Amino acid sequence: IQDDHKLSTEELEEKYGTSISKGLSSARAAEILARDGPNSLTPPKATPEIVKFLKQMVGGFSILLWIGAAFSWISFGIQFAQGAESPFDNLYLGVVLALVVILTGIFAYYQEAKSTNIMASFSKMIPQQAVVIRDAEKKELSADHLVVGDIVEIKGGDRIPADIRLIFTQGCKVDNSSLTGESEPQSRSCDFTHENPLETRNIAFYSTTCVEGTATGIVINTGDRTIIGRIASLASGVGNEKTPIAIEIEHFVYLVAGVAISIGVLFFIISVSMRYKFLDSIIFLIGIIVANVPEGLLATVTVSLSLTAKRMAKKNCLVKNLEAVETLGSTSIICSDKTGTLTQNRMTVAHLWFDDQIYSADTSEDQTTQPFDQTSKTWAALSKIVTLCNRAEFRPGQESLPIMKRVVAGDASETALLKFAEVVLGDVMDIRARNKKVAEIPFNSTNKFQLSIHETDDPNDQRFLLVMKGAPERILERCSTIMINGKEEPLDSEKAEAFQTAYMELGGMGERVLGFCHLYLPENEFPDTYSFDTDSMNFPTSNLCFVGLLSMIDPPRSTVPDAVSKCRSAGIKVIMVTGDHPITAKAIAKSVGIISATSETVEDMAKRLNLPVERVDRRQATAAVVNGMELKDMSLEQLDEILCNHSEIVFARTSPQQKLIIVEGCQRQGAVVAVTGDGVNDSPALKKADIGIAMGIAGSDAAKNAADMVLLDDNFASIVTGVEEGRLIFDNLKKTIAYTLTKNIAELCPFLIYIIASIPMPIGTITILFIDLGTDIIPSVALAYEKAESDIMNRRPRNKKKDRLVNEQLAVYSYLHIGIMQSVGAFVTYFTVYAEQGFLPSTLLGVRVNWESNAINDFEDSYGQEWTKYQRMYLQWTGYTAFFVSITIQQVADLIIRKTRRNSIFQQETCNLSFWFSCRNKVIWVGIFSQIGIALILTYGLGHVTALNFTPLRFQYWFVAVPFAILIWVYDEVRKLFIRRYPGSWWDKNMYY
Amino acid sequence: GLILLFYLVFYGFLAALFTFTMWVMLQTLSSDIPKYRDRIASPGLMISPKPDTALEFYFNKSDSQSYAEYVSTLRQFLETYDDSKQAQNIDCTPGKVFDQNEEAVKKACRFNISELGQCSGKEDKTFGYSRGTPCVLVKMNRIIGLKPEGEPYIQCSPKEEGAVQINYFPHGGLIDLMYFPYYGKSLHAHYLQPLVAVQLAINSNSTKEEITIECKILGSPNLKNEDDRDKFLGRIAFKVQMTE
Repeated sequence: IQDDHKLSTEELEEKYGTSISKGLSSARAAEILARDGPNSLTPPKATPEIVKFLKQMVGGFSILLWIGAAFSWISFGIQFAQGAESPFDNLYLGVVLALVVILTGIFAYYQEAKSTNIMASFSKMIPQQAVVIRDAEKKELSADHLVVGDIVEIKGGDRIPADIRLIFTQGCKVDNSSLTGESEPQSRSCDFTHENPLETRNIAFYSTTCVEGTATGIVINTGDRTIIGRIASLASGVGNEKTPIAIEIEHFVYLVAGVAISIGVLFFIISVSMRYKFLDSIIFLIGIIVANVPEGLLATVTVSLSLTAKRMAKKNCLVKNLEAVETLGSTSIICSDKTGTLTQNRMTVAHLWFDDQIYSADTSEDQTTQPFDQTSKTWAALSKIVTLCNRAEFRPGQESLPIMKRVVAGDASETALLKFAEVVLGDVMDIRARNKKVAEIPFNSTNKFQLSIHETDDPNDQRFLLVMKGAPERILERCSTIMINGKEEPLDSEKAEAFQTAYMELGGMGERVLGFCHLYLPENEFPDTYSFDTDSMNFPTSNLCFVGLLSMIDPPRSTVPDAVSKCRSAGIKVIMVTGDHPITAKAIAKSVGIISATSETVEDMAKRLNLPVERVDRRQATAAVVNGMELKDMSLEQLDEILCNHSEIVFARTSPQQKLIIVEGCQRQGAVVAVTGDGVNDSPALKKADIGIAMGIAGSDAAKNAADMVLLDDNFASIVTGVEEGRLIFDNLKKTIAYTLTKNIAELCPFLIYIIASIPMPIGTITILFIDLGTDIIPSVALAYEKAESDIMNRRPRNKKKDRLVNEQLAVYSYLHIGIMQSVGAFVTYFTVYAEQGFLPSTLLGVRVNWESNAINDFEDSYGQEWTKYQRMYLQWTGYTAFFVSITIQQVADLIIRKTRRNSIFQQETCNLSFWFSCRNKVIWVGIFSQIGIALILTYGLGHVTALNFTPLRFQYWFVAVPFAILIWVYDEVRKLFIRRYPGSWWDKNMYY
Repeated sequence: GLILLFYLVFYGFLAALFTFTMWVMLQTLSSDIPKYRDRIASPGLMISPKPDTALEFYFNKSDSQSYAEYVSTLRQFLETYDDSKQAQNIDCTPGKVFDQNEEAVKKACRFNISELGQCSGKEDKTFGYSRGTPCVLVKMNRIIGLKPEGEPYIQCSPKEEGAVQINYFPHGGLIDLMYFPYYGKSLHAHYLQPLVAVQLAINSNSTKEEITIECKILGSPNLKNEDDRDKFLGRIAFKVQMTE
């Protein structure tokens, strides 16, 4: 910790070897720059592209396939050395396997790179300029080149280019929200006001902004050594958690790899003990691995996720990390910022009080009129004060924009009043022009009021009008009368009481209240030639007439209450974390439903029951508003208790650092936590969270870097649509995986039966790859377009530990039910093809050795005909093709049944008889047609390319498996029917995946 | 418990379904001829004896042990052609296809083993192996319904020119059309396919050398013998190496 804030100017000059008037010399600056490096934050270390690429090459199933390829090459080597006749088959197989791995790896890498590229556009920062005194001259240079000891000048609107010890200020205010979360601008001076460098007024911090005024200071820290730099480097220390979907996919890969390896090894042992040649056994092993591994699945998952990511981007959720798409769906707690996310991030007039009555104003985003009663003369007077006693102005050239969207020069409250007046009264600038301003005292913190004197637009009235606004209690002090229904009445204690009640009520709603008063200056004392002097105040500032109150708030976005209630029904807890005042925070939380209408905090209960806070049963309070100060003194257990016991929590006055503690607390409860943030020092929390959501408009680059997702419109409601998409993709991935896994059994069974029964090989390894990477790809992606089966926003978030992506039921149902049915169907086709060509099933058993012998060219079939080796091989390929076609046909049925997990597909399609072609997921049809189309092309188009082992197939063989396809469909309908009919039954437990 | 029962029923059902569909499928098949014969449009050639080691004959003419296996294979192979086994076979008209589509019981044509001359095993019990003139029987694969056109005959030629003189039995390596067509195992139980014996007289200066001999079926336009991929379709190549 530095003590620069305690040093005097002279001591600073000495310490940094600089001069306040002349600055550093260029040579000296260059030296320091060489020593300290540029004044910029070191970006987080990016993984080298080649490492990312290699990771894709060995991730998932790749290892298994590499092993398969290695085995292929080894057996090629052995066969080649032995001089066998066709050793090249294995070489090719190895090459094909390697190609599959490399291509899917490249694909995954490309997908990832594509989504990273979207983000790259964010990190392009406009180089910042800074005004520096060097060599006794004012220079403008890039902020990167600032060094310790430089003298910099700052003015309103600038971003502070480094940590700066101020030596000269004039009305300087800074917005420290990116550092502390405090949204109120704070004034800066040259005085040492606090021991803590973070609290003292004479230091301005890197990346904060100067809101108004000017200042000059000495740079005391640059780059990573600035306070922000230190926090940012803290963020890179927070490890990135594995996303839930990554864990699920890993789990799935282990499961499938486990099945593949154990079946492979088991059958390796069986084949060795059945006296197969060692080399043959190895080739079987490769076949089993290839059949078991869903080669195309991981690519499909990537595509599905990126499709969802695209859909989410359209809804303003830009996903940086594809896997985060699903994380959002499993989110159980959202820690949301208030300002800008839940609220509109602009002050808006919410209530008015005049004529002893409170009126509500419209606070929606696109107001064009105000509905409250505007007939009273008091309102006419009040509106005049609001219009005239206001320094804010619209920037020119925005006449075509809606009033609410126009840019205003002025502070937040004045902007609110200006827009309010413009909506209600029309052209404010014209009214101001007609009521010429003759004198003005701007707002300052000692007076706490703002005053101006105007000529009136009434030609018959030569009086000047004095208008004043400010803190209500201060304004009231200066008043002796109050206007009621346009008439001035003396301000008696009763009226003062009414004022107090209204003020308390508005303040209690978390609103910023302003009081308004006026005075018509008597014409005889103040003729129109009178010269007003604002320094000597040669005009009255007391005994004014009180007109009314206006209260302002940053109102909630209109979509937020609905979004919060959606979260609630979706079982997601929304926690508000804000730097704002507890009262404001609570008011907003109530208005958006984070604290529901009926629930109470401990304090509310105490007030209602008239008990001291300590004596209230904390457990009965569902809501809690926790102050940052309390949080600071809390132990982890106490925090856990709060998070556990209260369903509605607001954290107010919290620093961004405390956000990290809150996130960790939620994660200790086993929750999947989404966190929103915009400031630089939100980045540790964003990183720590399961899904960090940065704000696209208000967010800093550091926050965007640390986040997994960027909310383009800063709107909380967009998170909820994201949640919906995330949940949907989880369901749909289940369907995709179930679809893909099913045919693995139909691919595996041929190998097992081939080994055990020694029949001619029913399906080739290459053919399997054509299913996995050919016919099945588009259908499995098509499932990603499936609509939700029921209202997915009405169920609780999935339990990370229990609701797995691939659960036992899914694997068992896919493998042992549908998969086996598919195998049976495919084997019927296989036996049909052989039988109709002369090999009855009984002849096929046990023939493997002779069948595959190159020396036997008079192999006798069931009818006494004799076959050469090549004729047999050709028949075998026809068998492959038939098997392939049968699997494809049955996969069509599989695709249709996978559309739903619980509903009948007729329910899903809502179009019963017009089921064909007019249904909701049209992409499914694309899937089915592509599947059959690819199969047709492979069979008839490439049927003459020997290496691919496809042969043109008799047309009727396409239909052998159709009854089995229909059976699959009927069986699944029955399954779904029983699940719907008997929820919770044995059937439901075992058959619902 | 319930799970086991479920799978018992489920797989029982699937097994029954499989059996049933297979049964239905088999019902549609004739037991006499296969439904399709397009995968074997043209026959392959094969030889007897057939060495284990990829059609390569290695023997020493003075060592009876070295060719004992070939001789016994030939003997065994020709057993079915023995006159005693052909008692019910009829003598057919040579040179003409023997159509018997109408007959319920298809008759087999007699193949007189004496047509194989020196390779019949009658005179020379070692089929010429002991004298350095080994016999190899060439046969054409049986295909139901196949009727060769023209006058098919087997012709063999050594790759190394002049290494060997070749004699054919019957003369000219002719395959008589009367043995066709074949009506299948069940209808045509006693069918004997015609044989052509090829006797190789290896030149004395070519002994100890490996001689590759290629036999082809010629003279019939519908019997293919030059398929790129199928090296046994209407042709066969084998190697002979004789030592003394």
